[in-house]
Amino acid sequence: MDKRRPFDRRDFLLGSAAAAATLPFGGLAFAAAPAKPKELVVRVWGGEWKDAIDPGASKSFTANTGIAIRYDETEDNELQPKLWAAIKQKRRPPVHVNWDTTTNATKSALRNMGEDLSDLSNLGGLLPVAKPLGFDKWPLVNVYSYVYVLAYSQTAFPNGAPDSWSVMLDPKYKGRIALYNDGIGFHPAAQVAGGGKVADIPKNMKACWDFIGKLKAQKPLLGEDPDFTNWFQKGEIDLACTIVTNARGAKKNGVKVAWTVPKEGAKMDTDALWVPKGLPANEVYWAKQYVNHALSKEAQQVWCDGLGLPGVNPNITPPADMVGDPAYPTKDEDFKRLIRVPNKIQVENEKEWFGRFKQIMQG
Amino acid sequence: MSRYPVTWRFLDALEAVAAFLWPRRMHRYTGVLLLVPAVALVGLLVAGLFQMGDSSLRLLDTETFEQSEDYSLANYRDLIEKPTYFTVLWRSTWAAALVTVLTLLLGFPYAYAMVRTRSAWRRKALLVSLFLPFFIGQVVRAYGWLVVLGKTGLVNTLLGTLGLGPFKMIYTFPSLVFGLVQYMLPFAVLLLAPAITAIDEELESASESLGAGGWRTLWHVVLPLARPGLVASAVVVFTLTLTDYAMPVVLGGGTNDFIANAVYDAFFRISDNGLGSALALTLVVFGSTVVAVMLGLLGAGTLGMRGRGNAR
Repeated sequence: MDKRRPFDRRDFLLGSAAAAATLPFGGLAFAAAPAKPKELVVRVWGGEWKDAIDPGASKSFTANTGIAIRYDETEDNELQPKLWAAIKQKRRPPVHVNWDTTTNATKSALRNMGEDLSDLSNLGGLLPVAKPLGFDKWPLVNVYSYVYVLAYSQTAFPNGAPDSWSVMLDPKYKGRIALYNDGIGFHPAAQVAGGGKVADIPKNMKACWDFIGKLKAQKPLLGEDPDFTNWFQKGEIDLACTIVTNARGAKKNGVKVAWTVPKEGAKMDTDALWVPKGLPANEVYWAKQYVNHALSKEAQQVWCDGLGLPGVNPNITPPADMVGDPAYPTKDEDFKRLIRVPNKIQVENEKEWFGRFKQIMQG
Repeated sequence: MSRYPVTWRFLDALEAVAAFLWPRRMHRYTGVLLLVPAVALVGLLVAGLFQMGDSSLRLLDTETFEQSEDYSLANYRDLIEKPTYFTVLWRSTWAAALVTVLTLLLGFPYAYAMVRTRSAWRRKALLVSLFLPFFIGQVVRAYGWLVVLGKTGLVNTLLGTLGLGPFKMIYTFPSLVFGLVQYMLPFAVLLLAPAITAIDEELESASESLGAGGWRTLWHVVLPLARPGLVASAVVVFTLTLTDYAMPVVLGGGTNDFIANAVYDAFFRISDNGLGSALALTLVVFGSTVVAVMLGLLGAGTLGMRGRGNAR
C-alpha cells in the first residue's frame, strides 16, 4: 500500500466516513486498507497474561476489523530462534505479532528482524518509556512497564512486608525463597542489597555476585512464572523475586501473598510488541494495525488493568487494587525506588550475567 | 468369473510391480535396500552433527546477535574454563551411574519374578504394573511426584498424622534420582526379561540339586547368564539418564541441572548457538566414549552380538 499517493476530495469523504465508524482505532486508513487476512497470530504468555490481552486488545480489534486473533503460547525464548531462522531463510514467520520482553525484542531488532513501526499513528503522545533506546526508528514498541517485586507469604509475615531484600538471607527461610532460573530481574536489587551502586552496573558487579553467592546457601528454588504461583499455593516458599503480575494473579486466586518494593529498590523493565519481517504486505499492514490498536487508550486500559501494570498510554488509570501501589508507579517518588537498566546493557551482558548466575547456583 | 481370491490377485500384482522395480539380478542387494531408510535417517542426524560442529566453532557477536564468520575454539575453551559446565557434567554422570546401579538392583528381581512366576495372573499383574507408567509420560510422572512428595503432599500429610515433618522431599538431588529410577525401571526390566527368559530353568535346578543354595545359584549361574541383559540395560539406562532434560527441570528445583539443561539454556536463554552446539557435541562424545568403554570392558558379545560363525 502506498500511503503517499495524492489526497483528493474522494479520499476525504471516504476517510471521514471511515474515521467516524472506527473512532476507537484512531488512525487506521480503512479507505486504502489492503486485503484482510482471516486471522493474525499473536505470540503471548499464557495464564494471566493471555487473559489480559484478549479482552484488552484482541477482542476489540476483531470486533472492528473482522480479523480473528489466534494465540501462539510458545515461550518467547523458544520462538525466537524459529523466527530468526524463518526470516533468514525467507520463509513465512510463524507469528504476525510477537509480544516479547524488550530485551529479547532488542536482540531481534539488532539482527534487523522486525518491521519498522515508525508510521503507527498512536506512537505520538505515548510516554517516553515506549520508545526503544538505542534505535533511530521503532523496530519494536514498549507497551507497559513492570516491576520485579519482593513477593512474600502473608502467613510467614503476619506483621507486614519485609523492608529489605536481605530478608532472603535469614536462615529461617532456607529453602523457602525463589528466583527466576536465569536470575532475571534480580541483578540490580542484589547489587544494591550487596552494598554496591546501580551506577556500577555493568562495570563492577561484585556486590551483586557476592549477595547472590550468599543466597546460594539458602538453597533457593529457581523457576519460571507459573512455578512461583504454584510454590506459593503449595506452601513451598515464603519469598520470591517475581513480576508483580504473577504475585497479583496468585492473590486473585486466593493465595495469601502480597508484595513490596524494598528499600534497596526493585528492577523495572518493559515488554514490547514487534512485527517480524517476511510476512505478505497486507498481513504486515494489519499486524501493525493490531500493534497500533494495542497502544490506544481503550485497549491499554483493559489490557493493563488485567496485568496490573502501568501502560505507555498516559491517559489510562490504574486498577483499583493497584492505586498507590509502589509497583504501579505514577508519581516521581515511586520511580525513585525503581531501577531501570538500559536494554542495550542487558543485551550486551546477558551471556556474562547468565553464566555468573548459573555458576553460583549450580555449584 | 475367476475363483482366484481378490487378495491373491492383489498380491500377485504387487509382486509383479516389485519384480519390475527390483529385478531378480538385484536380489542379492535386497539387504542393502532394506538398510537404506535407516542409513538415510542416521545420515541426516550425522549431517546435523556436522552442522553443529561448524556452529560450535563460531562465537556469538553480542552487537548483532549473529554468529561470527571466523572460526575459533573459544566456545570449547569456555566449557573447560568455566566451572559451571564441569559441575553440570559431573552431576549428570554421577546421577546416571547412580540411577543405573539402583535401577538394575530393583529391576533384576522384578524381571526375574515376572519371568519365573508360574502364575499367569501374577505375570500379567507385573507386566501391567510395569507398562502403566509408560502411558503417562515422563513430565506428568514428574509432576505427580511433586504432588506426592511436596510439603502439602500425600507423604507429608501422612507423616503429619504421626506428628512428624513436614520434610523437604522435592527439589533436591535425591528426589531427582528417585524420579529417574522410577522412570527408567520399565526400560531396565524390558531389557532384562528376554535375557532371563533365555536362561534354561533346568540349569538353576541342576545347580540346586548339586547343593548350591539360592544365592549361590543366582551369583554363579543366573547373573553370568543374564549378563547380556544387564549390560544392555546398563547402557540404555545410563545414556538416557545422562541426556535427560525433563526430570531435572521438574524435580531439580533449578539448581540440579543436567548437561541437557545447559544445552537448552545456551540455545534458548542466551541465544548462543555456538556454545549450545559445543555443549551438545561434548555430550555426544562423552556419552559415546562411556558406552564404548563399557562395551570394550564387557565386550559387545555380551549384547548377543558376535562376529561371523556364530549365526544360529
